This record gives sequence, structure tokens and C-alpha cells, in this order.
Amino acid sequence: MTAPHTRPSFLRLAAAAAASVLLLAGCSSAVGEQSSGSGASGDPVEGGTLRVAATTDHVPAAAFGQSSDVGNTLIGLVYDSLVEYPHDSLDAQPSLATSWEVAEDGRSITLQLRDDVTFHDGRPFTSEDVKFSIQTFADPAWAVQVQRTAAAVTGFDTSKPHEITLELAHPLSNILDLLDIVPIIDSETYDELKEAKTYNGTGPFRFTGWSPGSKMTFERNDDYWKGAPKLEAVDVQVVPDAQAQVAGLRSGQYDLALGVTARDVETLEQDPKFDVHSFEGATQQQYIGFQLENKDLQDVRLRQAVAYAVDRQRIVDELFRGAAVASGLPWSPSSPAYDEAKGQAYARDVAKAKALVAELGDVPVLPLQFAAGQPAGETIAQIVQANLEEVGIEVELKPTEFAQMYKQLVGAQFEGLWIFGHTYAQYSPATLTVSAFPFNAAHNASNFTDEEYLADSDASWKVADPTSEEARELFDRVNDHIVDNVWLTDLTTSYPRLVSTSAVHGIDYSKRTELLLDEAWKDQ
Amino acid sequence: MLRYVLGRLPSALGLLAAASLLIFWLMRLVPGDPVDTLAGPDASPEARAAIRAELGLDQPFLAQYVDWLGDVLTFDLGRSFVVGGQVSDLLAAGAVNTVVLTLTALALAVTLALVTAVTAVVAQRRWLDALLAGINTVALAMPTFATGLLLVLVFAVVVPVLPSGGTPPDGFVARPDIALQYLLLPATCLAVPVWAGLSRFLTEALRSQLRQPYVTTARAVGVRHRRIVLTQALPNALPSAVTVLGIQFGTLLGGAVLVEAIFTWPGLGRLIEEAISGRDYPVVQVLLLLSVAIFVVTQLVTDVVHAWLDPRIRIGGAA
Amino acid sequence: MRAALATPKGVAGLVLVGGIVLLGVLGPLLAPYSPTQQVPGANLVGPSAAHWLGTDDVNRDVLSRTLAGIRVDLLVVFLAVPAGAALGMLVGLVTSWWKVTDVLTQRVFDLVLAFPTLILAIALAAVIGPGTTTIVLVVVAIEVPVFGRLVRTSLRTVREMPYVEAAQVVGARPWWLLRRHVLPNSLEPLTVQLALSMSVAVFIEGAMSFLGIGVKAPDPSLGSLLKDGTRLMYDAPFLSLGPLLVVVLLVLGLLLLAQSLSEAHRD
Repeated sequence: MTAPHTRPSFLRLAAAAAASVLLLAGCSSAVGEQSSGSGASGDPVEGGTLRVAATTDHVPAAAFGQSSDVGNTLIGLVYDSLVEYPHDSLDAQPSLATSWEVAEDGRSITLQLRDDVTFHDGRPFTSEDVKFSIQTFADPAWAVQVQRTAAAVTGFDTSKPHEITLELAHPLSNILDLLDIVPIIDSETYDELKEAKTYNGTGPFRFTGWSPGSKMTFERNDDYWKGAPKLEAVDVQVVPDAQAQVAGLRSGQYDLALGVTARDVETLEQDPKFDVHSFEGATQQQYIGFQLENKDLQDVRLRQAVAYAVDRQRIVDELFRGAAVASGLPWSPSSPAYDEAKGQAYARDVAKAKALVAELGDVPVLPLQFAAGQPAGETIAQIVQANLEEVGIEVELKPTEFAQMYKQLVGAQFEGLWIFGHTYAQYSPATLTVSAFPFNAAHNASNFTDEEYLADSDASWKVADPTSEEARELFDRVNDHIVDNVWLTDLTTSYPRLVSTSAVHGIDYSKRTELLLDEAWKDQ
Repeated sequence: MLRYVLGRLPSALGLLAAASLLIFWLMRLVPGDPVDTLAGPDASPEARAAIRAELGLDQPFLAQYVDWLGDVLTFDLGRSFVVGGQVSDLLAAGAVNTVVLTLTALALAVTLALVTAVTAVVAQRRWLDALLAGINTVALAMPTFATGLLLVLVFAVVVPVLPSGGTPPDGFVARPDIALQYLLLPATCLAVPVWAGLSRFLTEALRSQLRQPYVTTARAVGVRHRRIVLTQALPNALPSAVTVLGIQFGTLLGGAVLVEAIFTWPGLGRLIEEAISGRDYPVVQVLLLLSVAIFVVTQLVTDVVHAWLDPRIRIGGAA
Repeated sequence: MRAALATPKGVAGLVLVGGIVLLGVLGPLLAPYSPTQQVPGANLVGPSAAHWLGTDDVNRDVLSRTLAGIRVDLLVVFLAVPAGAALGMLVGLVTSWWKVTDVLTQRVFDLVLAFPTLILAIALAAVIGPGTTTIVLVVVAIEVPVFGRLVRTSLRTVREMPYVEAAQVVGARPWWLLRRHVLPNSLEPLTVQLALSMSVAVFIEGAMSFLGIGVKAPDPSLGSLLKDGTRLMYDAPFLSLGPLLVVVLLVLGLLLLAQSLSEAHRD
């Protein structure tokens, strides 16, 4: 009796629903809004905003210490350093310093500084700024890896505005590393820097704002001493999820993505709409560390068995999709400490690993920690677990929160085995052995102590020229210590690979993995 | 009415106070502390002590708690240890995204629930009832992460017509058409269980209203079925539906954590996940307290609205 | 109860839940590989005769992992939920006998229920670390107040009945009251709630593993498999289909059981 009245309204409803879908479809599509890059790299074009997707947000209290994507980009865009390393060698090139000379005895270095450089607020750059910047790096509160090296600079002669002499506690084989790494900051706005309100540098872009967890923005510095950059502005957005970065790149939401997984890089590489940028000089290592205070790990044969058992090449092939090198030592061919044979000392040898395990008899179950929530760490941990099981070593995987990993790295408190990443092998070898926590000869995460390793590492630090014969001999001995004692074993050496749309050109990077955009431009 | 509301306040406030102490204590049990995150691997003991003192973490537990509670009560939420910036700024930025998402989902769920429930009751078709009940059960059986995954697979991977995640690049206001497309998948994902629960309940409530004597009377004097449903049964069924909606709303924030993770939506859910893994006590504490406060307020509001809609309570005073 | 399970809904629910339980129990016999075995060279290959559901990015057979993953959910559903329910009922029964403990317990229950489940789970996982134990603890923690309240309500209803008051007057002991009157009366709502809570437990396991605070690698669970599927969605959309189907059918089965029980109860 009532049905006849209801049917039309039901139909009307359905029609309205269909219409709204059509309406939605008729609008411009969020997915379709591709930046229509022509793909042809014609002449550089002025203007435009580069939209960058970064994985990790800036941490103001660790602006110079940790490597967050956004923080790193901030340093790269806003600041200059005194010298610049090329990508493939340690042959420092002039930047804010035009030339430099190390004294005969290696106890001081004198630098000539540019006289045409001003900070973003207009104040001219002088030798006092160099002094202030190095002293800032020596302040333990900033917790930078090269703190020990910065602290070894004990005197500053700033009597001339465009010349500075640094007095050193002892010769430093890695003094140029320090000068490449330290960004020149402005002493007068230091308090604002600590508050994350202002970042006043001399670099190609000015800092214009930061909303935590969301984005950081920059605009072109028209007075840049190398000449104004072409891009009008740079917006760095925090996009923690790798899949979301790829999706945003595809939908034209971002021009450049910093955190694309190797697998997605492989896919995007095939697509002419995208370009892959490889930062081959800025290497990063994955390694397995051993806690020597764990009784079970005190026998070097067990550590050697682990080093022989792991299938480094499989990690290279499957996780890094070929864009990495399998080696038990961190050095790249351009490093003075590079030794191909020693890097392969623990090339996969299941028989040897099994023999070592047989010698040991019963091997207890060992804990293996890795950073939770990071797919790369989890994948490596699972591969390593299977490799070790094959030779008769059982490990229990222990995903550990990143913050907790840090605490245990600092306090050398890991339970047994752990998998983590390190860097700084792309610099002078001494920078690694006196700074990087896994290797630090004086105090490392494995609680490995050895008089000879400490002596050789310190001696290599105190040689003025890292490429000298004397230095090479010491690095060789350092390598022997690493190979013989196996308190850690490196797995792979990889490098960041960024993906941009093909409309973006001239992307560059510093040795410290900072994005450099002073030459970059974008098709309109 | 006022007495009714006032009568409920003490227990609500007591709950909040207890929750705040529990939260504060819980955060101190979490292994790993923000000093490590901030100090980095090479910090000296002195540097670490300095950072600890600066954050006030060297104070005794109760002193820290009282300090914090005093600040929160005066709306000074403090500074984030790790993420950086004022907690209130972080909260505001995240809250905008979460509120837009949640309200869209809520609007979607309520509209659809009203439409499906009323249609089913008005149409009185067996097949339609069966179909809706079937869809309803399946919808209830779909965990949020499964719905989200399926939506992304279908609409972003297989047929790429909608963004798989993220917030609209130009904000929600400048380009509403684009913003709507970004909202569609996560809001649907969040709305599905709310719709399922609400529409099932509303259908039942409408049917039971239709069995009431006043409906028989209305029918006898010749009022049409559709009219009875819309003007009589629906208004009478609404109070209890509001209660159900209130209960559902309480679960929305929990659901938002998951939906924000799936669709990389930078809201409060994402913020709490990040803050917990970074041991960012001030942010975590405020967010946990906020989630409890939302629950308490929702319950209170639900009760009040329920009372207001229900003449027996409205006129009778305290329940 | 037997009548309830004989309805079409009840049968469908039993078949679904029973089928998945069977798959989980027989999993080790049916699975072509061990759930953690890495098959050399089989990196993220699509569905084939050798790997019906394909392989993941660590070269493991997804079918074998799905079968093993069911067992984690079975543990949570058939161990954690009943444990939480039993504990909750015990607490509810004992504390509601005296006014003071009753009020106190109710406030504690309020407190626990005031936290959104997932947020409670994240906080708890931060304190005691991720893992299957954490999932079980979270499930127990939220089921205790649910069942505690349920028992308390029926207890109060029963106690107000005239014949019970009379029995108390003549000196009947509390345990007699419980056994003879409270439990039989609350059996129906308890079974309905048990089935509902079981479906919620599947949600919780899935959500926690999805967020990375559930089972630990390399062990699979339905939620962790879906997490992997999401991570590799563009490269291997097939990864999540199997686990997705199982999760939805398991929850559907439990819901149908709950519905049939509650409908029978109402009639």
C-alpha cells in the first residue's frame, strides 16, 4: 500500500548518488595533476619552486649532529663550508677559503678567506665567524661526530678579517674533513639558531620558515657569492612513508623525493618521466656489531664464523637492487685506506663458518637487535638470521626502537649482535676511527679494547697528510685490526639514490649527503 | 537539566585526574629516554647531564608531575623534546588534519546510515533488507587496516584514480575539489565501521518505533507510511541513535591512528606514534590525556544530548 | 545455544571459524615450506604453481606464512580472550560483593576503557616492547573490564530478585548464589560477548602487527603479512590478498556466531 510512493524517492536517491560521483569525476583529478615535464633538458630556466619530499624531520637540538633529511637539506642550502670535497676524492677544493697551507710541523693551518661574502642578514663574513663555527662544533652539547677533531683545534689567530690560522693540539690527518663538514654559522644569531627561529648563513638559499612535522621553506639568496641560484624557492615536506613519496612523485605533488626504496628506484629508473640521482661519493654502511661483554661472543672464532656466514651479495642484490658493494671493510676505492683483498677477507664461505662452529661445539642462541620500523634493517636482519641458521648459529631477532638503539649504541649496551648503519668512511680514515661510534678506538659500542688498535688509530690521526706513505701504512694496520678482531663486520657500502621528475635538472650533493641546489633548475 | 550535567562532572574530572597520573607514570616506565635521542651517540656524560637538567628530567617524579599538571591546567603545554617546537603548535597542526578527516568520516557515516536505514524501513522490501544486512555484516567484519589496504589497492594501484595517501598539497580550502579526492579514501575507511554500527541500530530502532501504538493510531487515521517514518518514528528513534553514535565517536580517535598510518595522513594519530618512538614525553602525555579527555567529554555530551532529546529526562530533572 | 547455532547464520559462522581453525591447526602439514624458510632466488615472485600466493621480499612462501600466521590469531582469539574473560568475571564477581571494592573496581575499569584500544596498545608496547606477549596482554587488559562489567550487571539483577533476597535472608552462601543463579543467568550475554570479543581480538592483533608493535620478525601473523603487503603494494599487489581474505572471513565468522547467539537469546 505504501510502496508506490517509496520507489521514486529511492530511485531519486540513487540518481543523486550517481550524479555526485560523476561530478567528482568531472572535476580536475588529484592524480592527473602531473607536472607535465617535457623531458627535454633545454636551457636552464629561472624561477619556480622545488618541492622536495624528505623522510625525517629536522631536530633543532641536533641540527649539526644527526643526519635528518630536512636538517641535512637545511645545512646544504643555507650554509657554506670553508672547503669542498669533490665527490670522488679527498682533494679539497676552495669554497669560503680560497687557499690554505699546513705548517711544516703540522701543528697549524692558515687559510685565506673570501672577502666578498655576506650573511643573509647583510653582515660581512670574517675570520671571527670561522672561529665561532669551529668552537661550536667542539661543544659537546651539539654531539657531532667530529667533535674530537674540532676540539683538537686549540688556538685561533683572527687578527686579520680574511685570514685565519688554526693552531692544532697535534697534527691532524683529517683537518680538511673538519673544514668540509663545519658549516659557517653566524655568531650574532646563535641564540635564534638554538631556538630554531633563524638560520643565518652565507649559502645559496635563505631559511624562511619551519613548521615541525610538516615542512621547511627556503627562498633564493639573490646576493649569493657564487651567483644567484635559478630556483625561486625550495619547499621541503616531511613525508615519512616511502610509498607516499613515490605516490606523490607520480601524482606531481613533489619534484624530488629523498627516501625512495631501492626497489622503487629500479622501477622509476625505467620511466622516462623520472630521473635518478646517485650520491655515489656519500657512502653509507650497514654492519653487524658484536657485544664483547656478552660471554658467548668473546671467542673470536664465533665472530669470524658470523662474518663468513653472511651473504653480503644477497643483501646487495635483493635489498639494494645492485646499487651497493659487498665488503667487510667500509672504505671506497677513493679512500687511502681502501684494500680490496682485506675487504673480501670474509667473503661468504659456508664451509669455513661451519668448521668454526664445529670447533666451538655448542653455540647458544644469540640476540640480534635491529632498528624497529625500518624495513631495510628488518630485511637485513632476516637474511642474516637465515644465513646464520645455515651454519648452525641460532639468533633471536629483537626489533628495538630507534631511540633505544641510540641509547645502547651510546652506552655500548647492546645485548649480543646488532645491525645498524654508519657513515663517515667517505672521509679521511682517521675520522672514522676517532669519531664514528662503532669504530672509535678509545671507546666503542662493542666494548672492544686493544692497545695496538688504539695506538695505530691515534698515530694515523696525528699524521699531517692522510695520503702519505706513513699514513697508508698505519691505515693498513688499522684494517688488520678490524679483520683480525672482528668486533664488527661491515656488510654493504651503499649510497643515497634520489628520484626527481625529469623536469628537474642540476641536482648536486656534498660529501656529507647534503642536497645542493645552487645550480638546480626546473622546466616550467 | 543543569543539575543533571553538574551531577556528572565530579566523576568525569576524577577520571581525568587519575588518567593524567597513570599516563605520566607510564611514560617514565618506557625504556630509552629523550636525552639519548637528543644527545646522539658521542655525547659526553656532562653534555648528557646538561641536557637532562635543561629538560627538567633530573627532578623527582612527583615534582615533575605537579609541574606538568600545573602547566597543562594553565594551557602551557610546554616544548617538545624531540620533534621540536611548542607542543601546542604541533597539536594544532595535527588536530586540523585529524578533525577534518574525522568530521568528514562522521558526516559520511551519518548521512549514509540515515539514507540506508530510512530507505530500508520505508521500502519494506525483503531483498533490500537482506542485501543491506549482508553488506552491513561484511562491513562490520572488515578491520580498518583491511578496508584501507583494499581501498588503496583498488583505487590507487589497480585503477589509479585517487591519491593513495597524504594531505592535499594546497590545503583544504584553496582547492576543495582536489581536497575532496584526498579525503575520500581515508574518510571512507574510517566511516565504514561507524556506518555499519549506526545503520544497523537505526534500522532496528525505526522498526521498533513502528510497532508502537501511536503508529497504529496514525495509520488508522490514514497517514502515509513514509510520512510516519520521517515525522514520527525517526525523531523518536534519534535519542538512542545519538548514544550509539557517541560510543562510536569514542573509537574514532583509535581508528584514526590506523587510518593515518595507512594513508600517511599527518594528524594526531601519526603524531602520537612518532612521539612515542622518539620518547617525546611532553607530546605523548598531552596526546594521551587528550584522547582520554575526548572520551570523557564525548560521554558527557552524549548523555546530555540524550537527556535533552528524551523528554522523560529533560522534564524529570536528575536521572 | 544449540538452537542458535543451527540457524543459517550460526552454521555459516561455524563453518568459517571452523575452517580457519582447521587451516591453522593443520597448517604445518599443508604448508609447502616452513614459514621462515628463504627460498633462494624466489624474490617477490607472483603467484605460481610452486608458490600459490607468491613470495615476499625475503624470498619466503606467502601461503606457508599465511597458514602459520593464522596460528597467532588463534592464540589471541582462543587463549587471550577466554583468559581475559575469566579474569574479568572473577574480578567482577569478587569485587562487586562489597560496596568499597565495587566502586573502586568500577573506576579502574572506567580508566582502562577511557583509552582508545590502539593508543593503549601503542603505549603498552612502548613500555614492554613489541611481541606476541604484548598483543595477549593488551587483549586481556581490555577484556577484563568488559567482562567484569557484564558479570556485575547480571549479579545486581539477580540479587534484586525476591527469591534471592529471600535466600540471603535464610543464610545462603555467596558461592551458592553465584553457581545457582548468577552464572546460569548471565551465560547467554557472556557467550555473545565472548564471540564479539574474539572478533575484536583479531582486529587488535592485526592493527598492532600492522603498526609494527605486534609479532616479531621473522614470525608471521595475519597483521604483519598485511603490513608487508602494504609496504610492497606497488611492486607486488598480490602479497596481501590471501591474508586479507583470511582476516575478513575469520572476523565475519565470529560476528555471525555472535549475531546468531544474540538473536536466539533475544527470542
